Amino acid sequence: MKLSLNWIKDYVKIPDDMDLSRLAYDLTMSTVEVEGVHDLGKQYNNIVVGIIKEVLPHPNADRLRVCKVDVGTEVVDIVCGGSNLEVGMRVVVALPGSFVVWHGEGEPVEIKAGKLRGVMSYGMICASTEVCLEDLFPPKGDHDIMDLSHLDIDAGTPLAVALGLDDMILEIDNKSMTNRPDLWGHYGIAREIAAIYDLPLVEFEKYVPNTENKVDVRIVDEEKCPRYIGAKIEGLGIIPSPFEMQSRIWRVGMRPINALVDVTNYVMLALGQPTHVFDSEHIKDYIEIRGAKENEKLVLLNDKSLELSCDDLVIADSEGAVALAGVMGGAKDSVLPTTSSVILEVANFDSKTVRKTALRYDNRTEASSRYEKAVDPERCDLAVSMAMKLFSELFPNMKVTAYEDKYPNKLVKKEIDVEFEWLDKRLGKRIPQEVVARKLGTMGYEVTFNDKGMHIVVPTWRSTGDVSIKADIMEEVARMYGYENFEASSITAVFDGAINQLDMDLVRKVKEYLAFRCNMQEIFTYPWMQDNFVNAILPSTEGVLALSTPPAPNEKYVRSTLLPNICRAIVKNEHSFEEFAIFEEAQVFFDSDYTSEYDPIEKLPKQSKHLGCAFVGKNDKISDLFRRAKGVIGMMPRYTHMEGFTFKRVEKPYWADATVWTNIYLGEEKIGDMALLSKKSASVCGIKVLSAVLVEIDMDKLIPFKSRTNRFVHIPEHPMNEYDVSFLVDSMVKWDEIYSTLAEKITDNSLLRDVKFVDEYKGKQIPEGKKSITIRLVIGSSDKTLTGQEIEEVANSAIKKLSKKLGADIRK
Amino acid sequence: MKDKLEALLREGAEKIQSAKNEAELQEIKGYLLGKQGKVTEIMKEIPKLDVSLRPEMGKAVNNVKNLLQEQIEGRLEEIKLKASEISEDFDYTLPGIEPQIGGLHPITQMCYDLNDAFRSMGFEVYHGPEITSEYFAFDNLNFPPNHPARESMDTYWLEGHDSGEANEKLCLRPHLTGGSVRYMKTHKPPYRFVYPGRVYRNETTDARHERAFFQYEALIVDKDFTYTAGKVMIKSILSKVFGQDVPVRMRAGFFPFVEPGFEIDMGCLVCGGKGCSVCKHVGWIEIMPGGTPHPNVLRAAGVDPEEYTGFYVNIGLDRLVMMRYGVDDVRLFHGTDLRFLGQFR
Repeated sequence: MKLSLNWIKDYVKIPDDMDLSRLAYDLTMSTVEVEGVHDLGKQYNNIVVGIIKEVLPHPNADRLRVCKVDVGTEVVDIVCGGSNLEVGMRVVVALPGSFVVWHGEGEPVEIKAGKLRGVMSYGMICASTEVCLEDLFPPKGDHDIMDLSHLDIDAGTPLAVALGLDDMILEIDNKSMTNRPDLWGHYGIAREIAAIYDLPLVEFEKYVPNTENKVDVRIVDEEKCPRYIGAKIEGLGIIPSPFEMQSRIWRVGMRPINALVDVTNYVMLALGQPTHVFDSEHIKDYIEIRGAKENEKLVLLNDKSLELSCDDLVIADSEGAVALAGVMGGAKDSVLPTTSSVILEVANFDSKTVRKTALRYDNRTEASSRYEKAVDPERCDLAVSMAMKLFSELFPNMKVTAYEDKYPNKLVKKEIDVEFEWLDKRLGKRIPQEVVARKLGTMGYEVTFNDKGMHIVVPTWRSTGDVSIKADIMEEVARMYGYENFEASSITAVFDGAINQLDMDLVRKVKEYLAFRCNMQEIFTYPWMQDNFVNAILPSTEGVLALSTPPAPNEKYVRSTLLPNICRAIVKNEHSFEEFAIFEEAQVFFDSDYTSEYDPIEKLPKQSKHLGCAFVGKNDKISDLFRRAKGVIGMMPRYTHMEGFTFKRVEKPYWADATVWTNIYLGEEKIGDMALLSKKSASVCGIKVLSAVLVEIDMDKLIPFKSRTNRFVHIPEHPMNEYDVSFLVDSMVKWDEIYSTLAEKITDNSLLRDVKFVDEYKGKQIPEGKKSITIRLVIGSSDKTLTGQEIEEVANSAIKKLSKKLGADIRK
Repeated sequence: MKDKLEALLREGAEKIQSAKNEAELQEIKGYLLGKQGKVTEIMKEIPKLDVSLRPEMGKAVNNVKNLLQEQIEGRLEEIKLKASEISEDFDYTLPGIEPQIGGLHPITQMCYDLNDAFRSMGFEVYHGPEITSEYFAFDNLNFPPNHPARESMDTYWLEGHDSGEANEKLCLRPHLTGGSVRYMKTHKPPYRFVYPGRVYRNETTDARHERAFFQYEALIVDKDFTYTAGKVMIKSILSKVFGQDVPVRMRAGFFPFVEPGFEIDMGCLVCGGKGCSVCKHVGWIEIMPGGTPHPNVLRAAGVDPEEYTGFYVNIGLDRLVMMRYGVDDVRLFHGTDLRFLGQFR
């Protein structure tokens, strides 16, 4: 919201020497965020009012004229193409050094003295668009320059002074006052300034109608319309409003229209109370405030034609709806070019109703955005008073010929008791009673002190939901006293044991293990999944939750697995890297369970924490990729201190390659999968270049150890010997079989201590259906150093076993 | 002969000192002490001397021999100390071989930095469900029934769970504060915990707005806690995270779940508070809302607001990370582009 400082000064006498950046800062600290202070006059530097003395033809151009213009200090030549140039005309002259918007388009450019088609020109005579004043001085023709002849101004007067544009505009962040309906006008902000600086605030006199005639106002829905004032005013007409009123309305961002509409807007901008005028000739019989009938039709002032719903509130006469209450007037019955008498509406409408209606028709207005904050009904009195005063100034012959003020539900002021002891304790400081009383008093609170504290009556404009409990009063006191005037106090600590959160620590250890030990990059993805990735990973969407208003039509499913979005990340990166590994830890969701450990009335779907990984590389490196994945996952329990996993094949994941897959088990429970993404799934994803081994693990199933469990093992006193053996074996024989064949011989006292995998080879020189395996036998004794012969014997016994059990053919 | 010996000693010492490497020294050794060497040469002259002179000269020659031997050995040690097996064209300016490491997401890094800072002040770390009921997302937090945030234009509701009573409606959590109530409902006061997590808003995205972003909530609930102590807490945490003293200011702000509520600003670290484009020329950057938990929120959590009060802040992690690294587009965080993520080691 924009506010004019000059306008605010109508209501609170801000000292002229007040530092404006200080004012903006204090308002920001105590009340609302001032996003910027804009010096309106500054953009009119070096732009003055000039009077045309002579208009001469341009020697080299038919369309241009050379004007001799009095700019106060001298008469200068200015070349101009305006079509309405006349001697004696008062015009806007941009002198060299000023900035104008050339032909009303683009960024402002600097004016310099220079030759135009061979004739020197010392400035520019401006059109209204060139000085951004087209709203106040609409150009009549395409090449019209701005005419100020109707104003009695001396040549050389700065334009900003001549038009009262020497004003400061405060930009307020609307979000910072959604809870404060009282601040949506100049008067409300003036009240805050008065309270911050202890300045007096201007009060308004209540309007008293001098007619006994009644406007026939019928409130049908009193819940939705707590108050409605209707005043019939005659002796009006369609004239422009005075320049200062137009200018003020324009300065804070609205467009002046005509005196009748401008008055209603002016009152709203001043007080935050929307008002409306109907052409009284068009209002038939009575004014009724009622719910719309289903499918009732209404054409708004902006020509939108609506079919209403019965949740809408309308203003109607005997012929039907004439306005959408609190949102916008109807086109037919509002101010028309012929209007000479009106019915002025100053009313209060229910905030939720107005909000819903404005949203329903995507038709939010200055009025609706104020009503939806819950304006208090008492403010109608101020608005009527100000509107009547303005009308009578503009139309000396105007007459109020009928009046009605229906106020069925009088607003009850909130009352709050605050004990001093409580206030002091919560503030951490005692603020003198007279300061509390003065600050609250200026803001409209009625305060009476008693032995223990104070009894406070909240002003009506804060009683619509904003202030209701003693914590609210504490805030009022603290912010007006100034948050910066409270000394910092220390935090007291209670020690009742070290923080021990094994589950939190495990997640962190896993992530750090993957990132720093395993060369993987953590990624984040959205919880919603794109359909093609869902199709690639899941056989069906059964049990998958969906959003009712998804970010995109093909992104409605909420993830039950991390893999679809991991695949999406692979697509994103496969053209920048030929090898990479990524992981994500995040929550996944299932359409099941529906219980809550927090509250018996809540029904939450099943949600678990998952870990997803992808090991991505070239298509000819599948075995390496798979083994890398297995190494990372297999070693994870040891490095992150949790119960270990086992790998076994029980159930192939839908998305997995038919050969390259395994499940991950913790004891008897399956906790995840590891597999090559099948060719089909990869192509559904759009992964074109690389292959990916994917892993997904249910992190909630992991069991962290309470402490590190690695055990110390004595360093052997006698050397351990490594003995490599290569052999041919049927290519279907698995490493697990080879290992277990030999491992059964390993005990604490056996000479064979370990068997390690070294290499697997298929291809040239190896017969079809066979593969070559190289293993490393670790042989040694804790009692003595073995002789070469002893080592040989152990190795030979192992080799024999392999030949016998697996048909291994030893290569020498 | 004496003169000869002295001359040899001088010559030998010079040669030995000038030797540049082991090979040269060996050569010199041979020249001086070898079978055909200078010393042997002189030694051979001894028998030609008068008998009475022989013992003395023998001693003198031996002495010279020993001296040269010592010098050669000394020089050999020197040469060995300086020597290298590697040829001299070794280029020590070649780039180093970088350790192969991946990385944590920059937001995770910031989150862990904050966790460490808060844990050092005795805070627990909490996690809660991301799908929540409207009851926990709004009702418990003192949001009025028709608050705009409850509508689908602002919140992601779940299909089939987007109408009915507040306890039946489900959405992706729009903020973490509802989850804080979950913590309080399942623990006993006093509380001191942080709650990092991702939240979701249904809005149009641009460089400064995202549909999924991270919050970091910290909550203290205790008897006699004033918000000025909260300011101390924020200042300590920010100073720890940014490694320098960070000015903090608290100003009036409104949020339904706190009373009083604050907007908390930190001094702009880019310009040091003088005003720059990052801070929109005000010298301050809004980083978090905070305040005293609203009595209705404490009540919803089963805590007596007459007895307990507290302090709450909700830090926008994305914004903080953007500040820390100068990242100018919030959408990069969920963009999964490894060229971006790989920068944060």
